[in-house]
Amino acid sequence: MRCRQPGHTPLLLLALILLFVSTDVCVAQSEPDPAGSLMADTARVTVAPPTSVIVTDHKYDNGDALELSWVPSIDDRIPGGKVVRYQVYRSVNEGEYLPIQELLPGSNFFLDESLHRDSVYSYYVTAYSRNDSAMSVATAPVSPQREWLHVDRAWLFVIALIISLAVFYFIRAARKGEDLFIRKIAGLEAVDEAIGRATEMGRPILYIPGILDMDDVQTLAAITILGRVARTVADYEIQVRMPVSRSLVMTAARETIKTAYQTAGRPDSYSDDMVQYVTDEQFGYVAAVDGIMVREKPATVFLLGAFFAESLILAETGNSINAIQIAGTARPAQLPFFIAACDFTLIGEELFAASAYLSGEPKQLGSLKGQDVGKFIAMVVIIIGVIAATLAQAWEVPFMQQVYDALTFVFSTQ
Amino acid sequence: MEHLAVWIAALLTLGIISFLYKDNAWYKLSEAIFVGISAGYWFVVLFWDNVHGKFWTGVFPPEQYDAAGNVITEAPDYMLWVGAALGILMLMRLIPKIGWISRWPLAFIVGSTSGLYLINYFSSNMMRQVQGTIMPLFGMWPTDPTTGETVFQALPTYDIVGNVVILVGVFSGLVYFFFSKEHRGVFGATAKVGIFFLMVTFGASFGYTVMSRMSLLIGRVDFLFGTWLGLIK
Amino acid sequence: MSTRTWELLVVAAVLIVSTIVYLGKVGGWIGGVSFSPAVSIIVIILIFLSLVWILVRTLRGSLVDRRIVFLFVGLAVVLPFFMSITQKIKISPEVQQLYDALEALPPGSKVLVSFDYDPPSAPELQPMAESFLRYCLRSDLKVIIIGLWPQGPQQADLALQIALEDPEIQSKSPQYGVDYVNLGFQAGNEFVIQRMGANIESMFPRDYFGAAYRDLPLVRNVKNFSNIDYSFNLSAGYPGTQEWVQVAVDRYGLRLGGGNTAVQAPMMYPYLNAGQLVGLLGGMNGAAEFELLTGVTGKGTKFMLSQSFAHMIVIAFVIIGNAAFFASGRRKPLEQGK
Repeated sequence: MRCRQPGHTPLLLLALILLFVSTDVCVAQSEPDPAGSLMADTARVTVAPPTSVIVTDHKYDNGDALELSWVPSIDDRIPGGKVVRYQVYRSVNEGEYLPIQELLPGSNFFLDESLHRDSVYSYYVTAYSRNDSAMSVATAPVSPQREWLHVDRAWLFVIALIISLAVFYFIRAARKGEDLFIRKIAGLEAVDEAIGRATEMGRPILYIPGILDMDDVQTLAAITILGRVARTVADYEIQVRMPVSRSLVMTAARETIKTAYQTAGRPDSYSDDMVQYVTDEQFGYVAAVDGIMVREKPATVFLLGAFFAESLILAETGNSINAIQIAGTARPAQLPFFIAACDFTLIGEELFAASAYLSGEPKQLGSLKGQDVGKFIAMVVIIIGVIAATLAQAWEVPFMQQVYDALTFVFSTQ
Repeated sequence: MEHLAVWIAALLTLGIISFLYKDNAWYKLSEAIFVGISAGYWFVVLFWDNVHGKFWTGVFPPEQYDAAGNVITEAPDYMLWVGAALGILMLMRLIPKIGWISRWPLAFIVGSTSGLYLINYFSSNMMRQVQGTIMPLFGMWPTDPTTGETVFQALPTYDIVGNVVILVGVFSGLVYFFFSKEHRGVFGATAKVGIFFLMVTFGASFGYTVMSRMSLLIGRVDFLFGTWLGLIK
Repeated sequence: MSTRTWELLVVAAVLIVSTIVYLGKVGGWIGGVSFSPAVSIIVIILIFLSLVWILVRTLRGSLVDRRIVFLFVGLAVVLPFFMSITQKIKISPEVQQLYDALEALPPGSKVLVSFDYDPPSAPELQPMAESFLRYCLRSDLKVIIIGLWPQGPQQADLALQIALEDPEIQSKSPQYGVDYVNLGFQAGNEFVIQRMGANIESMFPRDYFGAAYRDLPLVRNVKNFSNIDYSFNLSAGYPGTQEWVQVAVDRYGLRLGGGNTAVQAPMMYPYLNAGQLVGLLGGMNGAAEFELLTGVTGKGTKFMLSQSFAHMIVIAFVIIGNAAFFASGRRKPLEQGK
């Protein structure tokens, strides 16, 4: 409030009174406020603008995003910085600039999405203090671009293509009847022996195909092996019990066992009760299977497929009833329990190898051989890479540095 | 009601634990209750979360109101009908005469998940891991930023041993899982080293899992002696 | 008396005693039990001597019934609840890394927490969840909760209730929709993560309580992972941290920390070593270490003594079992030589 003094006498008194009052108020205002807030609010907290604002196309998208980066305001980079927020402004097709995004202090990047390829965009960024602001220089207009190929992933594509072609090649070779060698897998030789034991003891076989559904590759492998086991079971005329935790697995398993019994010439011996749905709930399923094991005391237990926390419970219960147990899973976390508690364990990929070996199906055999090509590539690259890295880093061999750089570039993923 | 719920939970817990002594009627009753309730529970959850929550509210979106009280009408998502149709075709598996129809939606699921997994697993579990395994074994020549000179810096012994162990473990593990060659001679010996590494890994994993199982038991004990009996301070 | 009669008597005794204790708890005339340090040490010595006796018997050829092993494990888990002994906890590098990543986040940063577990895994993961949410709300980090498992959001709700009871957090009066949100569950596993990379709202159009995504101030401007400053995944299986790493980290560059059950934790170390994970809490141990770093004791710390005792009992029986194995191997040639 300002203090004024008018000139005419009749008003002088009034003015003097007003002056007295306003002076009091002015004095009150000029005295330091104990809290300091009034003076602090009115003092302008100036900030420097952000600089080097650059807008670039966001790579490898459908042409609907732009990347905005900037150097934060110098007042944001010092301790106790004055910047409280940034605001990004955007203009579409050289129209009015509108605020689109508020960002925290320290921000230096913004991804603007849901844009149109046919439009041009320009931006500026404003730094705000408590009561001031400073805007950057606006960028030149830019349009987002669409990329059809993620070029940074070209090597991922090349290596995936090599392995895929190897798989196709071996599948074709298997279909032509070529003999594709697969090494012996220890657990498989025990399958017939285990079924024979059940026959001698006159007790059933229990087959657990894991707890995942038919879309899981381990369950598919387990059902494939079931086909082989069921044929032997049908030949020996012993019972198979198969509690499952997924309804689709139940129907697939019933089909498989029924076909096996028909092939063995014993269709009347088959019964749908051999495969029963229990529950989807993990530990409910385990409780039921444990009960079956303890009450019916199967001579042989197959635990093949995808298992989780229930693996140890199942394996230990089977161990406690002195059953022969043949297990196999590709889940590394469950393998220790099977190895400790079961007689034979198919470790990881051996489950799929067993499925391919027993079924003799060209697709499975070819896939297995194709994967071996991938493993071979990995082995060779690792050895060459480590030698190159060691020679380059420890003995400064220049060519080796190039080899090392090339290999790490090829195998890095974006 | 709360008292009843705690007592039922406690008695069922003790019933299941009694299996450690031997199979008995109390365990059988607890098992039957658990199996039955879990089947029913999952049916309800899957129905309300998926069939109703995702499909029904997607194709027949309910009226919504924003903060100002205005009606927001969401457009129905007609693509969900495709998913529903595939789901019904999947259920044809239960009818033997037309069970073959279920192979189509199953092929769709297996194909799409394979395509997704191919990139994810290939990138994260093969490429990045191979890149991570390529490393110098002994030392490096970093450039001094002030002088621009390179000076040899040997890796600490601990790191050298670690790098060698990682290299030998990865390589021999890959050899073990190589199915195209019989495990004989040098190849067989390397595969044996691989299985040794695998067993050490499984032992460590077993130890971690013992911790996990004990944690679950501790949680149950906390419930029995804490929530139920109130004996824990 | 026959074995069956004894068994029925034991069951009756358990039911009668538990009823009396329960009535005492409700009536207030039975409170918590706690052993003095001296009694605790006596109990430990007695257990140790029992184990030594079992070892001696085993070496002499008397194998121990598996139910004795169960009894000792049970005692090892139950008794520490009543002991007044504290256990030193050492911080591991991966837990420190996660904590440092959180500490570096400025107030107002958005943290996405994915609850990918159900009640069976709650003893391990719930202490982590409570501790993590408590830290975030204390540090003014904005929490966005989702679940890829159906019961995940319910677990999140329970953890939030515990975290919101913290006096420091209560003094800040956090508001739902402004400081934290629970977007609920979405089926689809890794497909959900992939879609979130482009548009989170398309996967979570409404929150756990039915409010529209756009009506929630906290997430209104959050389009996808590029607007998320840090993410934490509590995982008990599939879908879990592995899927988050493969999709969100490798494809979208999301910064991710993992909270896993001890079963899963070993499988996460390759991702940690490759830099795909920024920090890892493994099992109850990880929860206890994180609680120590945040300075608030929770269930993780409370249960660690039982955890340690159980491990020691397991180690003891591994030694006893191996002793039995080698003793039986030596005894056979001796018996054959007689």
